[in-house]
Amino acid sequence: MKISLEQLGVTLGGQTILNGIELELPANKTVGIIGPNGSGKSTLLQCIYRVLRPTTGAVFIDGVKLERYSMRQSAQKMAVVAQHNYYNFDFTVQDVVLMGRSPHKRALERDNAEDYKIVEKSLAVVDMGGFEHRIFSTLSGGEQQRVILARALAQQTSCLILDEPTNHLDIKYQLQLMDIVCGLGCTVVTAVHDLNIAALYCDQLVAMQDGSIVGMGTPKELLTPEFIRNIYGVQASVMTDESGIVRIFYHPKNQSI
Amino acid sequence: MEQRSVSKKEYRMSNFAFRAILGLLIVAVPASILLAVTFGTTKLPIGDVYTAIRYEVMHRITGQPIPAEWANGAPLHDVVWLIRLPRLILAAAVGACLSLCGVVMQAVVKNPLADPYILGVSSGAGLGVTVAVILGIGSAWGGNYVGMVAFLGALAVSFAVIGCANIGGRATSIKLLLSGAALSAVCGAFSNFLIYINNADHAATEIMRWTMGSLAAANWPNNGIMVLVAVVCSVFFLTQCRTLNLMLLGDSTAITLGTDLHVYRIIYLIISSLMIGFAVYSAGMIGFVGLVVPHVVRLVFGTEHRKLIPVSVLLGALFLIWADVLCRIVLPGNEIPIGILTSMVGAPIFIYLITRKRYGFGGGREG
Repeated sequence: MKISLEQLGVTLGGQTILNGIELELPANKTVGIIGPNGSGKSTLLQCIYRVLRPTTGAVFIDGVKLERYSMRQSAQKMAVVAQHNYYNFDFTVQDVVLMGRSPHKRALERDNAEDYKIVEKSLAVVDMGGFEHRIFSTLSGGEQQRVILARALAQQTSCLILDEPTNHLDIKYQLQLMDIVCGLGCTVVTAVHDLNIAALYCDQLVAMQDGSIVGMGTPKELLTPEFIRNIYGVQASVMTDESGIVRIFYHPKNQSI
Repeated sequence: MEQRSVSKKEYRMSNFAFRAILGLLIVAVPASILLAVTFGTTKLPIGDVYTAIRYEVMHRITGQPIPAEWANGAPLHDVVWLIRLPRLILAAAVGACLSLCGVVMQAVVKNPLADPYILGVSSGAGLGVTVAVILGIGSAWGGNYVGMVAFLGALAVSFAVIGCANIGGRATSIKLLLSGAALSAVCGAFSNFLIYINNADHAATEIMRWTMGSLAAANWPNNGIMVLVAVVCSVFFLTQCRTLNLMLLGDSTAITLGTDLHVYRIIYLIISSLMIGFAVYSAGMIGFVGLVVPHVVRLVFGTEHRKLIPVSVLLGALFLIWADVLCRIVLPGNEIPIGILTSMVGAPIFIYLITRKRYGFGGGREG
């Protein structure tokens, strides 16, 4: 699935959050969106997954304007794991993952054996098999996020959008989640805070600053010490390890190394 | 593996328990009506009560004539067929409507404290009733115009409460409850004012009838409409379980799962206002049923609306049938308004719910 953004702009309360974004996201690749807080990463993703309506410009999916699709159709094309997924209700894990089947259901259609099979498979992929009948809100943060990922998988879409899903997770779960997602082989668009994680998992990076795109390329091309200093205002050195993966080392401000 | 097999078994149990309880309730509602019809302020021989009902039913089905001593005008016939039975059927229909409205409103505002009485929607309907009856507004709409005006009153308050609660950011429990209390006070004051200026002599009785609820005015023609509203709305919301579930996840998540909740929210509010309008028109304001019944059902079956709705509807009906029986037998020779009883039970539960730090829509966990 190909996503492209044309002249995408968002103005909220007189403030420009996104400014004429032009972007084409390649299919079946993992694309990371990086940039400091408030640079517009999340806003950009929210325009793609339709929670925000762009003020100007449009999002195109496979060449068709996003508004031309019904909500159901777009939910059949892309699934979302968002940064805030704390729910205070007592749905079971199975109930939550089954909701991932809703875009495939007509109004009166019931969940059938196949849906349950898909739910079981999705939970197995995220290593949460056997948790079907646990109450969602009693799970740990990492487990909850994996269940939400399973729900997204149950949507059976060719594109997955991750809106900083690993924000509140400890490193084990951050890596685990990214491992699962990048092993799926579908189009993945993810906002990432941690540049090392971005370098580890993303094929392509898009850097944002003040609502505009300020750089694009592979982690190796993009993540240079100068670039990191310009975007984030921090000192860092960058090296490439023997397997070709970019590693970033940050330096404290009051200490010259 | 161990855990998986255990949970599979639990799942079957809970599904079995759901079917068993649903079946039990389906039998219990008519059985309760038939049992409750023998209770009342006048003692009647149980055999005679059923004979009277049997003759009426047979007459309606086969056209078989009713012997004079059991027919219209005979005291026993009139007490059973014109007073007790319609009243119990009204109790069942109103109970089902109030309980279902509670479930739907709780989903619409994503807050388990919502209830048509607490949010002032019942008061809105009450104001509609007074305006229609006293000022004759809407009488051009035909025989059920009072119910229709009550529906409009309920609808106006529904949207006003949600509008007020959303002023200056997302609706919180506190804003929602305060808006409900305020609008309820406004509607209550205006309808009491209308009753007073119109009929100061009987005002106290009239106000009591509306604000404390009473099933005493039940009659067959109105019951027909009330039962129709209850059945049609229950069936409608049974088809909406998926969307109601999504409502609890919030607007953004629902969009990513293919449903834009905005339109549904408006439709649900209109339909629940319709139920409240007719319920208040037939039985006055009966509080807390929509709060207590869904809460109890969630404790047992969780939040999934596919289970919550049918069980809540039937349990609401059952609850009001027996509440009405209790109202009639607790004071010998007299009856207490049903709203007093439901508030006695419901208000403490309401207090318990708001004192809990957070409420996970049932599940029996302390927050």
